[in-house]
Amino acid sequence: MLKSAFDSIGRVTLFGAQALRDACVPPFEGEYLLKQFYEIGVGSFLLIVASGFALGVVMTLHTRSTLVQFGAEAEIPVFQSLAFFNELGPLVAALLMAGRVGAGIGAQLANMRATEQIDAIETLSVDSFKLLVVTRVIACTVMLPLLTIFMDAAGILGGFVSENVASHLGWTLYMQRAFDGVALADFIPPTLKTAVFGYLIATISCFYGYTTNEGSDGVRKAATNSVVISSLVVILADVILVKCIFFLFPDQAI
Amino acid sequence: MSDAPIVFEQVEKGFSGRAVLDKVSFSVARGEALCILGRSGTGKSVTLKLMIGLLQADNGKVLVCNEDMAALDEDGLMKVRRKMGYLFQSAALFDSFTVAENLALPLHRLDRNKSPDEIKRKVDEGLREVGLEKDGQKLPSALSGGMQKRAGLARALVLQPEILLVDEPASGLDRITASEIDDLLIKVKKERQTTMVIVTHDIHGARKIADKFAVLDQGRLLAFGTPEELDSRNDQWLQQFIAER
Repeated sequence: MLKSAFDSIGRVTLFGAQALRDACVPPFEGEYLLKQFYEIGVGSFLLIVASGFALGVVMTLHTRSTLVQFGAEAEIPVFQSLAFFNELGPLVAALLMAGRVGAGIGAQLANMRATEQIDAIETLSVDSFKLLVVTRVIACTVMLPLLTIFMDAAGILGGFVSENVASHLGWTLYMQRAFDGVALADFIPPTLKTAVFGYLIATISCFYGYTTNEGSDGVRKAATNSVVISSLVVILADVILVKCIFFLFPDQAI
Repeated sequence: MSDAPIVFEQVEKGFSGRAVLDKVSFSVARGEALCILGRSGTGKSVTLKLMIGLLQADNGKVLVCNEDMAALDEDGLMKVRRKMGYLFQSAALFDSFTVAENLALPLHRLDRNKSPDEIKRKVDEGLREVGLEKDGQKLPSALSGGMQKRAGLARALVLQPEILLVDEPASGLDRITASEIDDLLIKVKKERQTTMVIVTHDIHGARKIADKFAVLDQGRLLAFGTPEELDSRNDQWLQQFIAER
């Protein structure tokens, strides 16, 4: 069991390293990469924005009931923005992407393997790894930080709507309070860490899809493993990355 | 150096301890069509996959255009594959691409200097050759089994290969559609002098196309020769494979 787990970790690591190396070597699959940007980025946009907005509303409802007791409801906007910039936006966007994109990648590649489409690409003298894996890894790595920005924005907007309904707080004042005391270091490092999440989600999902050889059962396993393992790895990586951010930006840890 | 584009020398291949090919040797001459016959699970498709390097032999040599497939690196393998086309049993069309995009994929990748117009012209030509000129913008899921096979054949031929490998061209098709695919293969062989290796259960089609038969049983090459040579053998077991019913 333990041996098998280490074996899998080793193979996924090598797979991810190969994706990184091949991403830097021509030929670059520009046309197919754009297709992946569209499918992963544009395809996830509504899910991310709707989830961010709903989460923003719910977060404000919860924090309001607590902060009102201490007469600190004026702090709600900045609580909201800090929570979204630092943790909620990056982590929830990554978990949503693991669910939507990870499962899709795992199932699609496993189906392509089962129906000999990957073999067919190889017989056409086209590097299937570059075409199918590298493009998806790049697309996820680039698109997740962008989607996180939209999630943050939607969360803050949701918070504003909730606050406006509860206390008739105006847009300008809400935004002033939301960004009062928020430094770039609160926004940039946590957003950039999602590039690592995107890389991990794509690498793990591609690994399970691309390397399966169990037919239709392999498709099921690849889809399940892609979501479960990539979600778990994202959460574990978050712990490490937050520690790294605190180390590099000590003010954040206070 | 052999003139034969495909040579098998004492090839052995097994999976999970079970021998699928056992010391198989034969060669296919340039422009010749070889049909591999035999029961299911006797290693016919494995033979094709060894030829194109999707599998590696455990022992023995697979030589394609005088290159030892086991000794080639990825780049070398790709160079050899450029001379080959492969029609899969299921056609294996890329299901998220249109039929035209399926044909354009290798053209784009293998010659990046080709203009879009030139690629479109080649794609149209390829589709016309198999009678699918009006179906280029359809997704594979919108095609019938026979049309998918024809699209797969067009994709296998789009790079003008010297060698065409065909896995079960008649499988899942009715007699008339299977016959249409056979006619396309005969046309390709005649017009382009393409060397062909065809794995099939359809003896009627095999007799139309093949210059030679290879009969495999339990991983061994049981018989190899022209249809006439094999017909003349007084072997009842062999006759059940090669006699038209």
